Amino acid sequence: MPEMTQVPVTVLTGYLGAGKTTLLNRILSENHGRKYAVVINEFGELGVDNDLVVDADEEVFEMNNGCICCTVRGDLIRIVGGLMRRKGRLDGIIIETTGLANPAPVAQTFFVDDGVRARTRLDAIVTVVDAKHLLARLDDSHEAEEQVAFADVIVLNKTDLVTPEELDAVEARIRTINRFARIHRTTRSAVAIADVLDQGAFSLDRVLAREPEFLSGEDEHEHDEDVRSVSFEVERPIDPEKFNAWISTLLAEKGQDLLRTKGILAYKGEDRRFAFQAVHMIADGDYIGPWKEGDPRHSRLVFIGRNLNRPELRHGFEACQA
Amino acid sequence: MSETIGPDFLLESRGTHRELSAFVVAAAFDRTGRACAFALGDGTLAIVSRADLAAWPVVEVHDGAVLSLAADARPGFVSGGDDGKLRRVGLDGAVQDVAAFGSRWVEQVAGFADAKSGLLACAVGRTAHVYDAAGQRLKSFEHPSTVTGLAFDAKGKRLAASHYNGATLWFVAAKTDSPRKLEWKGSHTGITVHPAGDAVVTAMQENSLHGWRLSDGQHMRMSGYPGKTASMSFSRNGKWLATSGAESVVLWPFHGGGPMGKAPTELAGGDGVLCTCVAFSPQHDAVAAGFSDGLVCLADVNTRRILPVCGPGRGPVSALAWNPDSSLLALGTETGFAALVDFTKR
Repeated sequence: MPEMTQVPVTVLTGYLGAGKTTLLNRILSENHGRKYAVVINEFGELGVDNDLVVDADEEVFEMNNGCICCTVRGDLIRIVGGLMRRKGRLDGIIIETTGLANPAPVAQTFFVDDGVRARTRLDAIVTVVDAKHLLARLDDSHEAEEQVAFADVIVLNKTDLVTPEELDAVEARIRTINRFARIHRTTRSAVAIADVLDQGAFSLDRVLAREPEFLSGEDEHEHDEDVRSVSFEVERPIDPEKFNAWISTLLAEKGQDLLRTKGILAYKGEDRRFAFQAVHMIADGDYIGPWKEGDPRHSRLVFIGRNLNRPELRHGFEACQA
Repeated sequence: MSETIGPDFLLESRGTHRELSAFVVAAAFDRTGRACAFALGDGTLAIVSRADLAAWPVVEVHDGAVLSLAADARPGFVSGGDDGKLRRVGLDGAVQDVAAFGSRWVEQVAGFADAKSGLLACAVGRTAHVYDAAGQRLKSFEHPSTVTGLAFDAKGKRLAASHYNGATLWFVAAKTDSPRKLEWKGSHTGITVHPAGDAVVTAMQENSLHGWRLSDGQHMRMSGYPGKTASMSFSRNGKWLATSGAESVVLWPFHGGGPMGKAPTELAGGDGVLCTCVAFSPQHDAVAAGFSDGLVCLADVNTRRILPVCGPGRGPVSALAWNPDSSLLALGTETGFAALVDFTKR
């Protein structure tokens, strides 16, 4: 099915009280002339007329595919199937998760289920965080950390409740977890729709559209349970067989700790860029457009996860060079 | 001398069809076989009466999409919608509320009728509700997760529901509700009951089927499908289970010790196109099958002969149904094409 017919899906996460519902109401009440379906768990707080609101139970199901961390949202598979039967085209689907939700099952649903894949595409994970309470949440909740780690867009909300110094400290902490998300500082979730919807963050074409900041950090091995992000770049072309063997073993063994993996690869003897991404163990990859004339054909790979053994990852990636 | 007969020969010579311009979610004949309803993604039912195949009156039933359709316990139909309504529609097009569930979708419906009694059932979230023929609620059955499939057995004594980690079999008339729990890890997404009550089979998220032999609880695993096994249909005598999800019609033998350890029979394959919908004839060993390119054909299980009913090009087939005497086949597609084809001997 051509990409044109796939409805974009935005996943909206955030801890309780961070401002998710305010953001949702803002998106839906703006006079955008578009038709969205909104899948929510806490019914009744939305004040919307024109849009379609679907009441859902977050049902996270394990898959019997030999992959221990592969879970899907069974309710979303049914809801997407139902929405696609409706007459009239939807411009987008927005899925609000509960405050305590881990975003992985939602994301994996869009990789794993054929029916969902054929009709929709995961556009971006948007996480709303509360500037005043985020640091405390990150210390006491795995889920809050995962919501930040998975995010493509972070709405750093309630900035008026903290001092500029505190705000910088919060942003710095976010950056240690996820160096690649776009951060928008707001009060009362006032962020432009264009900064939240239609981001294309899961599109292979734009998987690394935002240049990660390649910090020349120490090759330290993080043994803690905190989520970090690391990135690597190699100059010589990649041998596809070596890369496939390495990355599939890595995802199979460490997939539970690897929340998101993304890369753009220069395969030996190939003029097109190969884009790669994974959510835990579930991976997707394809050729995208050619390398730009004159641009260096460097391969880049980023990991967001726990217990990242930076030297080991670096050596593994470097050994994939042809 | 032989004539070349095109794939649309039956559709053109013995059929009536329409472009309904909305997803055909389901098709069903009413118990008398006098009329067929096509349930549509715009909330309407198009009801075609055998007495007047030229008229396709449309009845507005749901505000949104119809999600589920079954023959009512009395002449007519019962449907569930994403407007949270369970409604019955008479052959005259009269719409009547059975129940309303607010913002919750009514994703599954089932109906049963014999000479003595009639039953209706619907599933809303984790609950299955059972009603008598008059529409009075008899029971509500709770499940551990959302009910994804609902089916009465052939006698209307038991109601089978699929859900996460298995299926549950309820005795509708039991004084105390202690259901039989059929357990198997994973997400079960649809259910069917063997016509003689020998087995219950579910479709699974992992493109496979799971079955339980009811006499001894023996598990039946049927896998190897490239696509979703959403559509399942037993033959009248229960010897075969036809399924969608492969590039052919897959038939599992429920006889001679099968399906355990037996290879399935594949019919109407070879085009590299996924089968999306199956419906066994209620009278003969023949199965109607629809494919993702729009092709509908009839496959004779014994002779393995394939009869084209409707050629490709009208959208993936999303609905198939036979009338009780097997003389009329209804078909519908995702893009809104719908047809009735007459198989009466001439």
